[in-house]
Amino acid sequence: MTLRESLSSLLLTGPAALALVLFIFLPVTVVFVLAFTDYQIGASGAGWVGLDNFAQLFGSRLGRNAIFNTLTYVAIVIPASVGLGLLVALGLHGLAGSLPRITNALKAVYFLPVAATLVAMAVSWQMLLHPSLGLVNTWASALGWPAPLWLSDRDLVLYTLAVIGIWQTVGYNMVLFLAGLAAIQPSLYDAAEVDGATGGWSRFWLVTWPMLGPTTLFVLVVTAANAFRVFETVATLTKGGPAFASDTIVYALYREGFVYFKAGYASAITVVFFLALLLLTALQVWVIERRVHYR
Amino acid sequence: MKPSLLALGLALAAGSAAADTTLRVHYAIPTIWADTQDALAQAFMDAHPDITVTLDGPAEGYADGVQRLLRESVAGTAPDVAWVGLNLWRVLEARGLAQPLDEFLPEDPESVGYTGALLSLGAFDGHQYALGTSASTLVAYVNPDLVERAGGSMEDFPTDYDGIIELAAKIDALDGTTEGVWVSPHDWRFQSFLGAHGGRPLNVDETDVTFDSDAGVAAASIYGRFASEGGMSTMGENDARQAFPAGTLGIMFESSSLMTRFAEGAGDRFDMVVKPMPIVAADEDVYLPTGGSGIVMLTDDAEKQQAAWEYIAFVTSPEAQKIIVETTGYAPTNALVVEDESYLGDFYAENPNARVAHEQVARYAGPWYAYPGAEGVAVTDVIAADLLNVVEGADPRETVEELADTTRGMLGFN
Repeated sequence: MTLRESLSSLLLTGPAALALVLFIFLPVTVVFVLAFTDYQIGASGAGWVGLDNFAQLFGSRLGRNAIFNTLTYVAIVIPASVGLGLLVALGLHGLAGSLPRITNALKAVYFLPVAATLVAMAVSWQMLLHPSLGLVNTWASALGWPAPLWLSDRDLVLYTLAVIGIWQTVGYNMVLFLAGLAAIQPSLYDAAEVDGATGGWSRFWLVTWPMLGPTTLFVLVVTAANAFRVFETVATLTKGGPAFASDTIVYALYREGFVYFKAGYASAITVVFFLALLLLTALQVWVIERRVHYR
Repeated sequence: MKPSLLALGLALAAGSAAADTTLRVHYAIPTIWADTQDALAQAFMDAHPDITVTLDGPAEGYADGVQRLLRESVAGTAPDVAWVGLNLWRVLEARGLAQPLDEFLPEDPESVGYTGALLSLGAFDGHQYALGTSASTLVAYVNPDLVERAGGSMEDFPTDYDGIIELAAKIDALDGTTEGVWVSPHDWRFQSFLGAHGGRPLNVDETDVTFDSDAGVAAASIYGRFASEGGMSTMGENDARQAFPAGTLGIMFESSSLMTRFAEGAGDRFDMVVKPMPIVAADEDVYLPTGGSGIVMLTDDAEKQQAAWEYIAFVTSPEAQKIIVETTGYAPTNALVVEDESYLGDFYAENPNARVAHEQVARYAGPWYAYPGAEGVAVTDVIAADLLNVVEGADPRETVEELADTTRGMLGFN
């Protein structure tokens, strides 16, 4: 490479790299430093508190509650949203040949929640789930079923939010799986048939599922990252309540930082969350990648 | 000729430079305040042509607003004057940003309408840091149709909690969708019931929690009895704020600032009536924590401070308070404007509900206690969570006593 070429490369990457350092890496470093202090937003100084903030996150009732709630939410949303996404994609892929118009309409319906603004959708959900006026409970009462407090019963609220989370991500996963399905070469099915795999299940298990491996990995990583970051529905529908029953990690970090003004503690939560997500993603990629690529 | 013209020119330039003080004003909640703020700024500038008021782009809510003020103060670009939530000015005071107003206050504050109760909204540790600009207290919103259906009447509407609970139970029993009474398990509502029973959340020095008194237990018991005897559900705030205008909720204790919104929401369905909080203790012991907004001075420049005070004095004067009441629905924070019929007499004749709320403010207004220290806001969420436990059946006395201990630990009072 000539000097001229390296100079122009530098010129091309330089500004973006500089912006990245200034606006991403520098603030992240500040957050990492703040995590070890008791800094409050607007305060003129801060004290060094070592690992106290981290001890508080893992040791306090509220901190553990937020972690537990997030794990529960994730444990429901990831399998359900990936599984349903795959089922819907398989169904629509099968239908595409015989009923193309209906398939396209259904695709749009499933994708709508992804395209819609979640906060606006959350308001609709709140109205639907209203204990006495909402459509859901009006129908439930008409059928003689109990009418639960979907968003204000502390034993129920997390599951309600999880269902909304699934509803919101199934469409996205469906689109990814559909792309994966379209990329499978028909000759593989022919070959499998020659080898005796004629039933629907064996075709799926021996051809479709293994060939969808890379897609499934990507879907898992994306769904997990989104599920761990659950915030909008909590902030608009429950504010973490009732009595912290739907307090999740990201909502807790917002609450501590921007409602309680405890920037130091909120930074500690951010650091833990960031590292946990990084680790999880690395693990998923590392463990699963060796089993899904056939090159 | 020439030199004198020059001198005239110089004099004019110097004069206009000294006269042109520009005040930057911060406010929040444009959905309520935008038009009011424009009207106030215009009226102020008409009366003080030497001062120009520029309004910063408003913050979405009071909490956002305070965050922005904190950020701006770190960056050195804070405005000169700010309208902040009455529960949040202490955040600015604790960080040394709010300037004391003591030297600006008139000798006899009462004479210009600043009563002791109203001054208490912005006072801490013997200094005045904020002046209230709009106020709201907890009131009872009543659906008269449901009351009549349940066999009650608005003429002899109960004036004590026993009567209200009894009536609520009857409304609750009407059919599957009606509910008798609702109040949010929330720090401010709890402080209101506490104050109505003559209690206080903190002692005078703010060195101990005092809501584990009999008054505090009585206040928490109201939550328990509303649920166990009055059939109150644990539905959330958003849900309740829809249920009342929809006509399925009989009595709702809520901030008087929601009056206009509820009346519009109820529309033709029913004619909402506002009733005062039942007061249990003797009048001199009672206070009702007051929500709304206050105004603080942030500039530390002596010359700007004088202009800032002119603005603060104006927006708390009866003339400006009349504008605020008529355009926002909040209660005024100047006693003269309520006492003197010439300001709002016509308004009250048309809005009897507003008079109920405003008289309650004038009589019982007290500070919305902000818990001191780094955990001050966090404590309010813990209180809310424990009140929900009482609603769900926990013993009020045990809960309040444990809560007081937890709170002492969080605030470092032990």
